[in-house]
Amino acid sequence: MSDITDATSAPPAAAAAAETPARTGPLMIGMRAVSKHYTPDAPALSDVDVDIRAGEFVFIVGHSGSGKSTFIRLLLRELLPTRGQIVVAGQDLVKLKNWKVPYLRRNIGCVFQDFKLLPNKTAFENVAFALEVIGKSKHVIRTQVPEVLRLVGLEDKIDSYPDELSGGEQQRVSIARAFVNRPPLLLCDEPTGNLDPQTSLGIMKLLERINKTGTTVLIATHDREMVDNMRRRVIALEGGRIVRDQDRGVYGYVD
Amino acid sequence: MSISVGYFVRESVTNFRRNWVMSLGAVITIYLSLLLVGIFIATGFVVNNIVQSVEDKVTIQVFLKDGAATSDVNALQQWMLADPLVKGVDYTSKEEALKKFREDMKQSPEIIDQLEGNPLPASLDVTLKDPRSVEEMVAKIKRSELFLKVADRPDDPEDSLKYGQQIVNKLFAFTRVVRVIQVVFVVMLAVVSLIFINNTIRLAIYARRKEIGIMRLVGASNWFIRTPFLLEGVMQALIGATLAIVSVVALQAAIMPRLKDTLSFLAVSLSGTAMAQIALVLVLGGMLIGAAGSWLAMSRYLKV
Repeated sequence: MSDITDATSAPPAAAAAAETPARTGPLMIGMRAVSKHYTPDAPALSDVDVDIRAGEFVFIVGHSGSGKSTFIRLLLRELLPTRGQIVVAGQDLVKLKNWKVPYLRRNIGCVFQDFKLLPNKTAFENVAFALEVIGKSKHVIRTQVPEVLRLVGLEDKIDSYPDELSGGEQQRVSIARAFVNRPPLLLCDEPTGNLDPQTSLGIMKLLERINKTGTTVLIATHDREMVDNMRRRVIALEGGRIVRDQDRGVYGYVD
Repeated sequence: MSISVGYFVRESVTNFRRNWVMSLGAVITIYLSLLLVGIFIATGFVVNNIVQSVEDKVTIQVFLKDGAATSDVNALQQWMLADPLVKGVDYTSKEEALKKFREDMKQSPEIIDQLEGNPLPASLDVTLKDPRSVEEMVAKIKRSELFLKVADRPDDPEDSLKYGQQIVNKLFAFTRVVRVIQVVFVVMLAVVSLIFINNTIRLAIYARRKEIGIMRLVGASNWFIRTPFLLEGVMQALIGATLAIVSVVALQAAIMPRLKDTLSFLAVSLSGTAMAQIALVLVLGGMLIGAAGSWLAMSRYLKV
């Protein structure tokens, strides 16, 4: 409970730095009494209720094994919940037909700790790949890819291969790829897990900038410093349950 | 769509090159199995032609007694022509029979020399619409009053008739056995090709698992992910089919003339339409095997 007092008594300067929490928009992610059991007696998530509105910027924090990954995988419909209801971008994931899953994923940008870039493709080609495989025309690719690479600050590295880029730059390419299709929702699983603090800050600023365009951003992380600095909504998971959900929160664990 | 087609072709070719040893293996097994299929079908056509020509020669010869009344012979001929089993009835006179006998026996003139006068009877040669109905027609003729009136030996009707039922039956039995063996072989080879294609596609999927993961992530549709693999399997099969067709044509050109020479008494032939049919069967069969092999691999290793 001391966490809540911490948040409310945060210095006004820190509060002003963060955006006013937008909890009024249309529902982007809704979970109702969601449980996921991999084995009958060990729930990875139990009875989770979450509302995330369009335009929000949310951290999911927790130790490994707390259910963060399960949370993300449920949203991507890589997994189905054992119980409960999940709505993402207006789609009921439990009722969603398998063949429609790709169309759901076109509305969700994904960023991962390990970047998941193709080593034999340049930055441009990696981003273009995401458009190519959903059947976008050459014209769209030629205009949108340079634009999004400019947005992430890589206009000079368009033709570089991943192994010629630093970690931070690779993560920018992967963010560009996730965002090039302008999805309403961006999911980031430990986006700064492999990066030094300075680089991480740049990535967070970039995600914040993307959030300002109206995209909902959800970040699963255990980067304490980052969460504390950003002063955004924090949902804390522990043993598969939500133990805390607060606006302008902090990481709040002692590792 | 236009970019997609280019994309799929590019992907399949890249996969093929990246994994060319396995791909070559798949192409060769398909080639061999389709080659055998082609040879089987071609042999089938040739055997069918031979059977056909033998069947055409299966006639019922009705021997007539010397001095049978022309009106009676005509009546028998008309009665047989009216029968639904009969295709045609030709009259062979004693003179024609002798001439034909001399023709056939040219090699042994001593037999001809021993002939006194003309011992050969005149005959009616009955050709049938379906050679398998020989037995039935023979029975009908035997019961006929008209036949008994003009038969060469009315006391022994069997002796006044000549027909080749035994040969026909043997041929039919033989071709049936050949067909069963062919089907068994073809099925076995198809299974082997299927397994081979399944394997190459599995490796291709494995080699591209990272790309596939990303494609899933960014929302590529299932058919988009699958098409390059399907295309790859079909492409391997088509290359195999093309090689098989070329080989069958080459074999046909090399063997058929010699076969015709050595088996000149049989109607050995393979028409252009038959060859076109073989090519069509090989291409379609190859594509089917290719698509099935890829599909098998995808349903096992490419869960979407």
